[in-house]
Amino acid sequence: MRKVAVVGAGMTPFAEHFALGIKDLVPMAFAECAASVDKGLDTSDIQAAWFGELSTTDGFPAGILADTLDLPDIPVTRVENACATGNDAVRNALFGIASGAFDVALVVGADKVRESASKDTFWEWAGMTRDMAWDYPLGLVAPANFALHVTRYLHESPATKEHMAMVAVKNHHHAVSNPKAQLRFDITVEQALDAPTVVAPFGLYDCTPQSDGAAALLLVSEDVADRYTDRPVWIRGVGLGLDRVMHQHKRDMTTFPATVKAAKQALGMAGLTPADVDVAEVHDCFTGVELISYEDLGFAERFGAYKLVEAEATKVGGALPVNPSGGLKAKGHPPGATGVAQCVEIFEQLRGEAANQVDGARIGLAHNIGGPTAVSAVTVLEGPGA
Amino acid sequence: MTQVFSVGTYLPCWGSALRRQAGDDEDALTLAVEAGRAVLDGAAGAERVIVVSRELPLLEGGNAAVLLAGLGLDPELEVSERLGGAPAALDALTSARPRTLVIGADLEPAGAGAALTGDQGLSLRATARLARSLPVRTRDATGTVHDYGDPRLLRERGVLASVAAAGVEKPVAVAGVDRKQAGSLCAGLPPELPTAGASAPFFALAAMVRDGTTGTLLAIEQASLTGVVVETGTVRVHRREPEARPVPKGKYTPGAEIPISLAAYDRAFEPKLRWEAARHPGRDELDFPPRYHVGRDGSLSSDYTLVPLPRTGTVYTGVTVHVPVPGLRTPYSLVIVELDDVEVRALVKVTGTEPGTVGIGDRGRMVLRRVAVRSGVPDYGYAFEPEEAA
Repeated sequence: MRKVAVVGAGMTPFAEHFALGIKDLVPMAFAECAASVDKGLDTSDIQAAWFGELSTTDGFPAGILADTLDLPDIPVTRVENACATGNDAVRNALFGIASGAFDVALVVGADKVRESASKDTFWEWAGMTRDMAWDYPLGLVAPANFALHVTRYLHESPATKEHMAMVAVKNHHHAVSNPKAQLRFDITVEQALDAPTVVAPFGLYDCTPQSDGAAALLLVSEDVADRYTDRPVWIRGVGLGLDRVMHQHKRDMTTFPATVKAAKQALGMAGLTPADVDVAEVHDCFTGVELISYEDLGFAERFGAYKLVEAEATKVGGALPVNPSGGLKAKGHPPGATGVAQCVEIFEQLRGEAANQVDGARIGLAHNIGGPTAVSAVTVLEGPGA
Repeated sequence: MTQVFSVGTYLPCWGSALRRQAGDDEDALTLAVEAGRAVLDGAAGAERVIVVSRELPLLEGGNAAVLLAGLGLDPELEVSERLGGAPAALDALTSARPRTLVIGADLEPAGAGAALTGDQGLSLRATARLARSLPVRTRDATGTVHDYGDPRLLRERGVLASVAAAGVEKPVAVAGVDRKQAGSLCAGLPPELPTAGASAPFFALAAMVRDGTTGTLLAIEQASLTGVVVETGTVRVHRREPEARPVPKGKYTPGAEIPISLAAYDRAFEPKLRWEAARHPGRDELDFPPRYHVGRDGSLSSDYTLVPLPRTGTVYTGVTVHVPVPGLRTPYSLVIVELDDVEVRALVKVTGTEPGTVGIGDRGRMVLRRVAVRSGVPDYGYAFEPEEAA
């Protein structure tokens, strides 16, 4: 397989973009991506595109990408893999290039969660992830979906709601300096603990906001990378893991086996270990999920995630900064865009250009876990000079 | 002469001692199933079912299938759905053949009662029946209720005139009227009954058995009545009547209708309402919900059989949803229950207790409830009722 590099990356701010449609957000993200290509991009170089979108806002996703970017002559594949969509789109584009089929491919992720009335959002989105007869009528809202895991995790591990609050404080703080983040304000542990309960054990500040946004990456083969930049970021590994779909079929709910599988694949492909990772964007749709994911990704021993938080190891400035962008928690979470935007952040981190820069970061990791906690995608990237 | 083999009653836990309120997840069918299961507990099976109520939810059809599935009875049994109150329920009982399960269910006040007839047991003999019309309360097909608003007229020209016209001896219990009126009609102090409709005669029978009383039981609805003489006899009584407690505070959030796929409803109906899992030939594990399998060689296994699941279990994990969810009342709790003695877990709603009070390790039983109303369709399934609540 050929090596594949990221040579351009861009995204829209994540926000409630009531005034912008999917057909606006996609070209906005793409233009910022194109502008970041050091030696410039002629769009006629693009040979294929992968578009990650969970919903079908304004219709047929692949066509929308081709239309809005005026790329009617290239193949476009829509990727939908729940909240792992973004990193799975990266993974598919990587294989397209690594195989030799293409030299230049575009990856875009986008979603508009705030496109329907908030009263309709839950039931609409639940229809994409629940068994219609058995689970759908129960009202298993997205926070409950993850809270079933986190309740059991808090029961079995020494971690507490205070540790979840510390994750929220950290990610909110990281978002303050990120102009693309949706929630750019600091909070305190007390504020997090005293916030209204959404789904026990999650308070308001344990939860990601609902977001609209888009992100884009330009991927190229090693054969042509120097036409675009002298500072490519290499995709060293990709992984995708699944798990049983229904919660009642997951034997141990203190872990996400999908993440374990995806991380093992991605790190194995890269020939790296979790200890090699310098910076990570971890799927923190809910704070407790970040804790569990530390363990599933191999950053902490089983039930040892709380120690990383207590030691402030995952803050920027710590041994392994996690979610320097603010994460889903504070940057926002338009699901199709989320994983792509994580890679945008890692791209900037590894080139030393991030808003909230981690000093000397060389290896970065992006991670999604989603749907009914049944799919995870992990991407491992390495900075220029490798 | 009818012999009653066993009597069962059910009261929802919500409301006050003498005025229970159905939970959000209960309707006349789930109440009827609770009372019916109380009667059938350990008893010989019923051969036909009569359900009497003025509150049946599926007026265009479907009640019978829900009832039989919830009761664990053969779907080939005859089910009669009778519109009526206390007299109709007593009529159904006194004219029933042996091995008939007669159930009465009411929503306001809420409760259900049931009796299984047999070849021996408590003897009931019909002594009076009178149909007179004094429609002081009416309800049309759209559910609109009109109350005439003259309680004395009802008492004088309805109840008392009918009792006099029927020429029955002084009763020992009266179903269908309030406590004060029952007291004035009876020889001694009559039992206080928690309901006033089709379920009331069953509560009266249960009370008479408890008190060792024999004599006339009157069932009255507006100006119609039925009287029976209750004689001695051995009868089993199962009462599921938990302590009354205040209805939990909650907030219903209006919103769009919750959609339903009736194709999915239909596929899931049997295992979902009968609480059954699939057993595939050659596989040890049960599948719940039932599903097909493919073998390592790609061969399809689709000829599973449905086997009953245990109805008790322990909470593995659970959550309480506080955020408003359109179409639902919040807060509500969801739990994953590990069923006893099988490697099967179920994700279900919690019922019969304040939301947020069930934790990991709590034990309870699985009960049929109306899990949701989806685009007008009551969606039945099982909920977890913690032990403390039972």
